[in-house]
Formats: sequence, C-alpha cells, structure tokens
Amino acid sequence: METQLRALQQEALDALEQTTDSASLELFRVSYLGRKGGRLTAILRQLGSAAPEDRPRLGQLANEIKADIERLFDERLQLFGSGTDSSRPQPVDLSLPGRYLPFGSLHPITQVMGEICAIFEGLGFAVAEGPDVESDYYNFEALNIPQHHPARDMHDTFYVTDSILLRTHTSPMQARIMEKQDPPLRYISPGKVYRCDSDITHTPMFHQVEGFLVDRDVSFADLKGVLTSFSQRMFQRDLALRFRPSFFPFTEPSAEVDIACVICNGKGCRVCKQTGWLEILGSGLIDPEVLTQVGYDPDIYSGFAFGMGVERIAMLKYGIDDIRLYYENDLRFLSQF
Amino acid sequence: MPPRVQSFKILYTIELTPSNTLKQRQRSRIESMKCTVSWLQQFTSTDGFTTAQLADRLTMLGLEVDSVEELFTALDFFITAKVVTVTKHPDADKLTLCQVDTGSDLIQVVCGAPNVRPGMISPLALPGTILPDGTKIKKAKVRGVESCGMLCSARELGLSTDHGGIMELDERLQPGQPLRQALQLVDAVIEVDLTPNRPDCASVRGIAREISSFTGTALKPLVGQVTQLSGNDTGFSVTIEEPELCPRYAARRLTGFRIGPSPEWMQQRLAAVGMRPINNIVDITNYVMLESGQPLHAFDFDTLKGQAIVVRKPKSTEKELVTLDGNSRILEADTLLICDAERPVALAGVMGGLNSEITEQTSTLLLESACFDPISIRRTARRLGLPSEASYRFERGVDPDLADKALQRAVDLMVELTGAKADPDGHDQYPGKKPLLTVALRMKRLKTLLGMDISEDEVVRMLSSIGFELTLKASGQFEVLVPSFRVDIEREIDLVEEVARLVGFDTIPATQPLIRMDSPLEDPMRKLCREIGSNLTSQGFYEAINYSFVVPTHHDMVGLAADDHRRHAVRLLNPLNEEQSVLRTLLLPGLLENIERNSSFQHTDIRLYETGKIFISRELGKLPEERMQLCAVMSGLRYPKAEPIHFSGQKSEFADIKGALTQLLWRLGYPFNQATGLSLENATGTQPPYCKAGVCLAIHAGSQVIGYLGAVDTSVLKAFSVKQAVYFFEIDLEYLVHIPRVEKYFSGLARYPATSRDISLVVPEQLAAGELLESVRAQKQKYVEAAQLFDVYRGEPLAQGEKSVSLSITYRSSNATLDDATVDKIHNKIVQALMLQFNARYRKGLDV
Repeated sequence: METQLRALQQEALDALEQTTDSASLELFRVSYLGRKGGRLTAILRQLGSAAPEDRPRLGQLANEIKADIERLFDERLQLFGSGTDSSRPQPVDLSLPGRYLPFGSLHPITQVMGEICAIFEGLGFAVAEGPDVESDYYNFEALNIPQHHPARDMHDTFYVTDSILLRTHTSPMQARIMEKQDPPLRYISPGKVYRCDSDITHTPMFHQVEGFLVDRDVSFADLKGVLTSFSQRMFQRDLALRFRPSFFPFTEPSAEVDIACVICNGKGCRVCKQTGWLEILGSGLIDPEVLTQVGYDPDIYSGFAFGMGVERIAMLKYGIDDIRLYYENDLRFLSQF
Repeated sequence: MPPRVQSFKILYTIELTPSNTLKQRQRSRIESMKCTVSWLQQFTSTDGFTTAQLADRLTMLGLEVDSVEELFTALDFFITAKVVTVTKHPDADKLTLCQVDTGSDLIQVVCGAPNVRPGMISPLALPGTILPDGTKIKKAKVRGVESCGMLCSARELGLSTDHGGIMELDERLQPGQPLRQALQLVDAVIEVDLTPNRPDCASVRGIAREISSFTGTALKPLVGQVTQLSGNDTGFSVTIEEPELCPRYAARRLTGFRIGPSPEWMQQRLAAVGMRPINNIVDITNYVMLESGQPLHAFDFDTLKGQAIVVRKPKSTEKELVTLDGNSRILEADTLLICDAERPVALAGVMGGLNSEITEQTSTLLLESACFDPISIRRTARRLGLPSEASYRFERGVDPDLADKALQRAVDLMVELTGAKADPDGHDQYPGKKPLLTVALRMKRLKTLLGMDISEDEVVRMLSSIGFELTLKASGQFEVLVPSFRVDIEREIDLVEEVARLVGFDTIPATQPLIRMDSPLEDPMRKLCREIGSNLTSQGFYEAINYSFVVPTHHDMVGLAADDHRRHAVRLLNPLNEEQSVLRTLLLPGLLENIERNSSFQHTDIRLYETGKIFISRELGKLPEERMQLCAVMSGLRYPKAEPIHFSGQKSEFADIKGALTQLLWRLGYPFNQATGLSLENATGTQPPYCKAGVCLAIHAGSQVIGYLGAVDTSVLKAFSVKQAVYFFEIDLEYLVHIPRVEKYFSGLARYPATSRDISLVVPEQLAAGELLESVRAQKQKYVEAAQLFDVYRGEPLAQGEKSVSLSITYRSSNATLDDATVDKIHNKIVQALMLQFNARYRKGLDV
C-alpha cells in the first residue's frame, strides 16, 4: 500500500509538471483528485481495508501526499489564471450593487408625531386619543366657545348634524379627561383634526398634538419652562424662542410660541416672511371657565395647555413646501423619509 | 332715474382682509387692521421708535404685526434739485432750457412748466427713473436740445392731481437729497392681525392707545368738544323698541353739503389702508370708523317716512328688505332692523336698505352712530353671508361710550370738508347705559399665576397706561375699574393677562413645574399600531395616510351589497366637495387610489399600508362608531426598486401577501394557533365583494371573522383604474387588540442533531397541499419537529387531474441522536397514513 502511494505520488507530480494550461490542469484534477474517478481519491478509500495497526501511519502518509499534490495543483492554478473551472474562486466584482430586501418607512407625519409624543412622554405625560367625530359640547362649549362666539370663526367646522361635528382641534380631550379624573394631570392628545379649508397651505384634514398639565399653582413660568424644553429638543439645537401674547378662548393668558426661523437662522427669509420667526405652537394657562365646567376650583388649581400642527412642524423640519403632498401617498414622496 | 353716486355698500360690504399665513391652521380667519404711522401719530407720539421697533413692540403686546409696508418708496428715486438759470428754448416758445444743480453736478434740462424760475428747488427725475405711471425717464433731445432729466409736478410724482406746474419745494432744502427724506414723507402701513377679543384695536386710536402704553406719552382724544344732544328739537324722532339689542342710538341731521371727492390727504390714507375712496360723504364715514372703531351709517333723510327712526324687529308682514347691493334679503323674526315710521330701511349694523340710500339728489342726510348687541348682529351677518367692516366690529363689541364722540368727529369732518351744516341738536338715546365694571385683582393670585414677583406700583403703572383705574382696597387687593372700550375684560384672569402682556412675556421666567412622578400605561391600541408600523415597514411597506372623508361612490366601486353595514356612512352637512363628502367605512379604496396614482407616475411596484379609523353611522344624534383598521396592499414586483441584476422581474403573488400577514401576526405575538384562536380559513363563497373568488382567506379569531386576505377583484381594480393585480389584507384592529398575545417564553436549544426524510406523493389536483401538512401535524407522531412543503409538480408523466406534492419532515429527539431505523419506522407510519387518508400514491419515475 505504501509503495502504491509513493508511486502515485511520483506519477501525479510528473503529470502535474506537464500540465500547460488550465484545460490540461482540469484533466489532471479529474484523473487524480476527482471525487468519482480520481486515482488518489480511490486509493484513499482503500485505506479502510489496510491492517488496523498500519492504518494510522498509512493515513498520515496519504494525507501528506494529498496535501502536497493539492498545494502544487493550487500553485499551477494560480499560474494559468482563470479558466472554466467552477470550483475555482471567482474574483468578486466589488462595484456591483448591494442586494437588499424591500424596505419601507412610516409616513413623515407619523414620524414627527411620534417624536413630539416621545418628548412629552419622557416628561411623564400620558397619551390619550379621542374620537374624530365629536360633539359640539366637547369641541366648543366645554372649551369656553359658546354658540355665536366670534372665536368660532377661527374654526371652519365640518358638521355632521347641528350638534355633531368633525373635531377642529384635539383639545376636546382636555374636557373629556378632566371630567373623569382629578389633578394632577399631564396628558397629550395626538390625532387628526378637520377644517373646511383647502389650498397650498391648508388641507381639510391635518394632525395636531394637544397637551395639558393641571395641578395646584401651575404658572405661566411653568408653561414657558416645559415648552422651551420641548422646542429645543424637537429642533435639536439651542435655538432662540419667543412667547408672544395671543388669544384662544380656552386659555388665558394665551401665548404663541415662535422659534427663530430654521431656514435663515432668524435673519429673515421667504419662509418666515422676513420676520425671522416661525410660529410653531399655541398655548396658555387653561381658562378658569374651562376648569369650573369640569368641577375644578380655579382658585386652587391651574394649568396650562398647548397645541401644535404636526404638518407645519414636519414642513419646517423637512423643508416640505406643499402641504397637499402629505395625503397623496406618492411613493416618490414617502420614500424620502 | 338719476345716476346714483356710488353708495354705502362699500362701507358695509368690504370683505375684511384675511391674513394669508400658515398660522391659519391654528387660528384661521383672523381679520387684520391696517393703519399708517402718521395716522397713529395723530393720537400719540412715536418719537424715539422706528417703524420696525413699533411693529415689534405691538407684536409682543399681542397685536401681531403681519406686515410693514413703507410708503412713498417710489420717491427715493427722485432728488431735490436747484434751478440755477432759465433761458428760452431756441425752437419752442413754451419750453425753457434750465441749468440744474443736482448737488454734485450741473446738468441741462428742458422744461415746459410755466412756473420754473431760477433759485427754485424742485423734484428732479434723472435718466433711469421710473415715474409712478410707469414712464421711464431717458436722456433725450427735445426739439434738438439735449435734456438730461425731468423736473416734476406733484401729479407726476403720484402725490396729488396737481399738474399746474413743477412742484415748488422749500428753498432752504439742499439740492441732491432723496425726495422722500427731503419732504419727510416717511410713513408706513402697519398691518395688525386682530384676535377676536380685541375689537378696541379695530381702530387707529385703539392701536395708538397700545403704543402709548410703552412710549409713555398721553393718548389724544378723538374730538375736542362733544355737543350734548338733547333730542328735544330735532325735526325727527328716534324710538328704540329693542333696548336689549340696541343699547344706544345717536343720530344727527346734516344739510348743505356738496358731494364730491374727499381731500387728497383723506383719499391717500384710505387708499394706504386698502379702502377705495368713493366720495366725501362715504369716505368720512369710513374714515371715522377706521379711526375710532365706531361704524356709522348715513340715510337720505327725505326718504324716511314720518321723519322717524324706529329700532325694532320685523312685523309679521315684513318679509324682506332690498339692501344697498340690490339683493333682496329675507328677514327673520329676530333680525334687528332700523325702520322709519312705516318700513325697514336698514339691517341694523349689517347693511343699509336701498330705499334710504344716499344719491346725488340727496340734500339732507341722517347720520347714525349706534351700538348693537353682538350676538344679534352676528346671527344676521352669518345667516345672510354678509360679513362687513361694520358687522365685524359690532359682533365683537363696540364701545357704547364711543357713539357720541364718533358722531361728533364725523359731523366735524363733514362740516369742514363738505360744507355741510349740522342741526344744532340730534338724538342720543342710551337705554343700555351701565356703570363701568369693577374687577378685583389679588396680588397673590397674580404672582402665583405668572410665576414671578411683581410690585403693586408696577401693576398700577402698567394697567393705568391703557386706561384702567386701580384702587387699593385691602392689602394686596385692587379694585380695578374697567374702561368701557375693553369689552373683553370681565374677570380677574383677564387682568392677569393684561399684566402679563404689559410686563412682557419675555421677562417672565421659565421654570419647570413641580409635579408627582407618574408612569402612565400606554394605550394598547396605540401600542399595537406602533408595532404594526415597525413590522410592516421592515417588510417593505410604506405607511400611507388618506383622508377620512371620501367619495360616496366608493361603496359601489367595491361592490358593497345594498344591506352592507359599511354603506351606513356618516355624511357631512357642509363638505368641501362631493369627492370628500362621507366618512370612510373601509380603508381599501383609499389605498387603491394611491396605487392608481403611483402607477400613473410609473411607480408600479408598491407596498402600502394604513392604520386608520373607519366610521359607521349609528342612530341620529349619536356619535358614530369609530373602528381602527389595518389595510395593506401589494402590487407589482416582489422586490420594488431592487437592482435587476439581483432580482429579475418576480411579481408579487398571493403567497407574498400571505407571508407578510403571517410574519406580522407572528412577530406581534399572534401566531395562528390554538392559544390565540387565530386561523386562516378558506373564504370561498363568503369572500367580501371586493375580493377575487377563490383567492381569499378569512382571518378568524375563533368563530369571529376579523379580516380578510386575498387578491382584489378584477372588477374593483377596473373601477379604480388599476391595471395590475393587487393583493391585500385587512384586519379590524378593535378585535385584534383584545386577543391576548402569546408571551415570549424561552425553550431550550436542541442538543441532538435532527434527521429529515422527504416524501413525494401523487394526489388529486383538488386536494389542498396544506392538508397534507395539517395531517402530518395532526398525527402527532413522536419526534416530528417540523413538516414543510418543498415542491408541487404537475405535468408529465402525471395524469391530468393529478399533482405531486413533496414534503420534508424533520425528526429530532431531545435526549438522543435518532438512529435511521427509528426514524424510518415513524416516517413510514406517517406516509402510510397520508396515502390512506388522501388516496395518494408514491411518485414514480421522477427524481425528487
């Protein structure tokens, strides 16, 4: 057996020596190393029939010979370069595009709304979502906007019946929650809201995040503190902020919050209408009338409320210039976020 | 019929300027008030403040300045020039040649004005200047002589209609100055967005009052002397039958006026704030309204029957009134009217009647200055769709103490500017006169609510600056007398707000509230939707958001049966259009529209999903049922946007949507098994109308169907103009959210190797391959770890109506390596059972 092995080794090395190209090398591989008819393979299979005491020694020798031949074979292979041999490693074309599975993304409104909610949830606010179709009572009356109040002009309301409507803001949750629970309360309420208005800056449906906090002795200074924290986290820079007096029927004092224009850094541009400021949310101390209606004593409790339009914040964050794009669900738009 | 002068309809129907900004989102339809700086200066000094500073301070007081427009900017292109010499033009009698000093140069100008003389200072347009009428001044030869500019008349500058000669300016002016600066024509229009609580600022004087709060200068009165009107000897009567709706009515008669254009300064001011000058009578009423905030109305006195004014509601016989605009207006029982002795002559506070309109023939007019109930005016203006400058102010509250002063101001102007003579007496009935309101203000509450310290002195100083009177009643408690024009101040909190804005929001500190910690639970539906989003986006779906309102024809387009509960849609009373007139009762139509839209932009490989509410109508007067739904659609290539070198053209098919759903539910903790009760059942025959027959599975939670999965029916695709196959699934999340999820629980890792055996069986075509797998599982043989399908084959050499199904079964023991004999024995049992159960046979003559 040993002689047989040595002879085959010599024979193989000679044959290898005589190969001249990749084709003859392939012939060599088949006749000596091939899995089926290869002579070296065949002889290795016979090792099992050798005497048990010889087996370790013969096995080691056979393996050495095989390794030797394979090493020389590989050298020749390198020498002759690429051939048709499929067992040989192919060079990888690194310039080919990567292969990926399909991927999608959340709608930019969902992303921004999630970001807003996450900031407030981090401050301990709970999230509550109310019905889209709301009663006149919760949408208006409970928020100190009685019938015939001029502030109703500020809401172009879609009506279902005289007393049922599509909510014009997510503020109804204020009254719904306060009716059922006692302070301290911290809630935000994200959701869809509706106003009958449609042009390049208005869609009849849009999204708001409303929030409120009620406890003993909550002050306007607290409102400033919380909304300052929020705005700076939302826009991720130490940007200037201003609180400006305004009017909402359910808050008093009321404030609108402006941030330094994110486009021009406050220098004045088309987006901020040369003012250097961009309005991002409305807020104020909850009007005592709203607290009284839900049975809180406004001499003991006070609170603040705020609301913001998600589309607007997303427009500022991403530089989107047409609000209608949000609801066309064009993949060329959605896939950018 | 004599031609009518343009009438008071302008006064009563001018649409207020809606501010056109993004913020309408939060505060839609806020009206704005325009005024010029010079007009403001008539009532208070603005010394030391630039226009920009004024605008900024007003904004920070809550009177948001929407825009500032500098006036006379065109004059910046003209300069002052001194005429040095004047000689005759050699070829034209009426022309002169002037040597003109421009401050830096001496140039020659040909001039045709009769008043040109050496030494005069006049406006000069150099070549390149564009006149207000659009003419461009060029260097040119006039009758053979070169002219290097033009000396201008006031009309050519757009300053007045005077074209009698070139403008003569003050001879002390230096030549070469920009004209606007030289003439000190520095003025600007400030546009303020008005919040509905501040009708007092719907006037120039109201805004001036706010300015005086920070300039520290006094606010000047509207008029000097106000004639007391006794109503005794007036030649007409005033009767207020509805004192609740008309707390005050003042009127005065004027004669002897000449109707014509109003003076230029008035026309310019009106034009600058966006109001078109009409004639002196109309202009004066508009001017006084803008200045004071008091709407005025003028009647042709001679048309008033019985020389009487009666403020009342309509009689049962009075059904309509033709208003100034020529339209007939239906009167309702509660419409407040101004009537003469016999008939209505105006809708109080909204619009005058055609029957009492001022015409060129009018020789006597009755000027009305009244105060009406806000709600009554609002109702009428709303109902008739007639918002006007007047109704805007009345709806929000006009100062009742203003009526006599504004009337006096208008009378004074008419006397001065139209030659009118006013009757010495008139009427001023004030049945609604009330004492001024007093409101208590507690310093402690004020400080608590502001979150800052503030002294009593400071509070007194600030509130006094805008007309409040404060008396210290007890320690730390004020009694505050509210001026009549502040109709918005009734409560302590209103005063807190006044202090807050006067002290300046920017001086209030920013603090964090002290509040008990809390760890609220997340709403399960919100959590579910969030997890669905995270899973489906990782499976290649983009999230869509569609409008909640849709076109009602969707119900037919998806083929809903007549009695389908999803036809019970909530209808809007006032939709924007029919396309958005009902609330959606299913999500699929919106997504099909999205597919259609995307394909029209050559984007045909689509995976979209939406989680959103549908709305099912309930009985009248109840809010509809809102149910959160999930719908996902898949169409086009399986690997959208993938590089073709890697994935060539494989189309999505049923298995793709089934896989997406299965993976979604499994990852959310809702596997199809007995623990969750969830399963997929063949829905052939019971599929929803929009689902293709034979390609539909129902998602069951026990016996309850909670959703469907399948291919969208071809007729539905056609209805939505979708030209490619669409697969979808939909789930009613209101059911899913209540199904307990399978909690994650660790099971030990296998320590011994598995062995697998393949089997190919020929079965009848109609047998669902899945039943073979089901059967393997159901047999519950020992060591069976998994069973998978790996091939279904039809064709030669199999007979028609036959197919070959290949299964791979994996065996594993948890405590030993299985030997072949054991595995073969079990495998054989399984195969025998399958052949028996399904009348199957081994597949012969084919490689597996």
